Amino acid sequence: MATQTESESSGGGVLMRDRLVKRVGEVAAGGFVLAIGGLLAWILSTQVDYSLLASPLIARRFAEAFFLVIQIVVISSLLSVSLGVLVGLGRISTSNVTGRIAKGYVEFFRGTPLLFQLFVIYFGVPRLWATGEFPFTDWAIPAAIIGLTLNHGAYVGEAIRGGIDAVPNGQMEAARSLGMSRVMALRQVVLPQAWRNALAAIGNDQIILVKDTSLLTVIAVPEIMSVFRNINSNQLDPWTPLVWVCVLYLAITMSMSQLVNGLERRSDWGSDSRMFGRLSGLGSGDDDGGEEA
Amino acid sequence: MTGPLVEFDGVDKSFGDTQVLYDVDVDVDEGEVVVVIGPSGSGKSTLLRCANRLEEIQGGDIRLDGRSVIETDVNEIRQQIGMVFQSFNLFPHKTALENVALAPEKVKGEPEGEAKRAASDLLDQVGLADQAESHPGALSGGQQQRVAIARALAMEPRVMLFDEVTSALDPELVGEVLDVIEGLAADGMTMVLVTHEMGFAREVGDRIVLMADGRVVERTETRSFFDEPSTDRGQQFLSRLL
Repeated sequence: MATQTESESSGGGVLMRDRLVKRVGEVAAGGFVLAIGGLLAWILSTQVDYSLLASPLIARRFAEAFFLVIQIVVISSLLSVSLGVLVGLGRISTSNVTGRIAKGYVEFFRGTPLLFQLFVIYFGVPRLWATGEFPFTDWAIPAAIIGLTLNHGAYVGEAIRGGIDAVPNGQMEAARSLGMSRVMALRQVVLPQAWRNALAAIGNDQIILVKDTSLLTVIAVPEIMSVFRNINSNQLDPWTPLVWVCVLYLAITMSMSQLVNGLERRSDWGSDSRMFGRLSGLGSGDDDGGEEA
Repeated sequence: MTGPLVEFDGVDKSFGDTQVLYDVDVDVDEGEVVVVIGPSGSGKSTLLRCANRLEEIQGGDIRLDGRSVIETDVNEIRQQIGMVFQSFNLFPHKTALENVALAPEKVKGEPEGEAKRAASDLLDQVGLADQAESHPGALSGGQQQRVAIARALAMEPRVMLFDEVTSALDPELVGEVLDVIEGLAADGMTMVLVTHEMGFAREVGDRIVLMADGRVVERTETRSFFDEPSTDRGQQFLSRLL
């Protein structure tokens, strides 16, 4: 803060404006919190039926849905990240055929809504069999996992391709110069770095995957939104089950971002030269990002 | 051995329609240090990169110990040609020791313990025994470049190529890297250096190759080059430096 007072005394008009912007931001953010907080307090005190909220029946139904969602998320996550690695590798393949197939795959699954893809899999696919011949009796959950995997595999694939692209060319050259084959150089040198580069984007996508499970309500998966819809239509009380819904999704997504943060910390190999530009607040006079260039 | 260890024989190289090397002939004898100098864009680095096939050539041939580099398996030939880059290119996710031990382990299939021991000796040789467990991000540019030299040496190459290895360094860090290269020269390592450090070229080079516009314009003993360059181009180049 010493630097601020110094430049202030040297008549920094720009700095004054910076501080004004900072104040306006604080007022806006504070006002927002007050407004939302007030609304929330009002809803929680007038709209929520606490005996219903705590009733074991509702708790049990949400708990069942919650664990089902976690199972679907874990399986789809593992599968979509694995698929994404393959797609990412396909995208950078030196083979034109593989590259184009991977690109087409990504274009299709990013270019159509997840809901459409789920309908294709859930409603469309069983019709490819003669009536009664389709091998799955409960197709909703397998269809959900397949849909989420295929959809998010495309996003993870793009994240990984971006991560690979961000590894400087010199890394591949150095590895190849030591006599490594391209595949070996990718595995030993490029992919570990690409993984780290892509981690934030992959984590982001996996959090979206969690929220995308809410779409599964329309293909008859008894997940969290389905429980809400059921309770809402029986009790004619939306706010009470909505509290449950909110808490449960946040429980999954927040632990997931903790996990991603942990992974990011673990793959930080103590290189200060690769600090991703962290913009410090408007007020700070000289930014330490300047050393980077 | 009879012929030269490394032989550039009428090398032509183009990037698309732009030809960057014209009929380049350079011989490097075993144990010799050849320094390639010349103005920016004269094709010095490209010449080095052709030798280990980071760039493919369009005409002529490059031979290592009489064997065509072009016709030999690329991964095999690169094991015999060590390369050090201007921008170090250390692997940031591995420690200094792992950087050096990686290729012997994965490419040559040496057992991990053995590769690590050899790597440790090499780090000692470049004066970095105490930094074995550091990641590149924690090392200075000079230290990183010395690790990079150790990494190339770990494959026990027959020849070392140095591509402007001090150009990216702060002036006060240049000396420590040049010392290491000088030590290698004293040990009889065959080397081709591209450099802008004329004092160093004069000290360590057995022969100087002056390139300009993709052609070799002068090829001579180091001493005679610096004392009395035989070509106008050489005189011009030196007069601009001194």
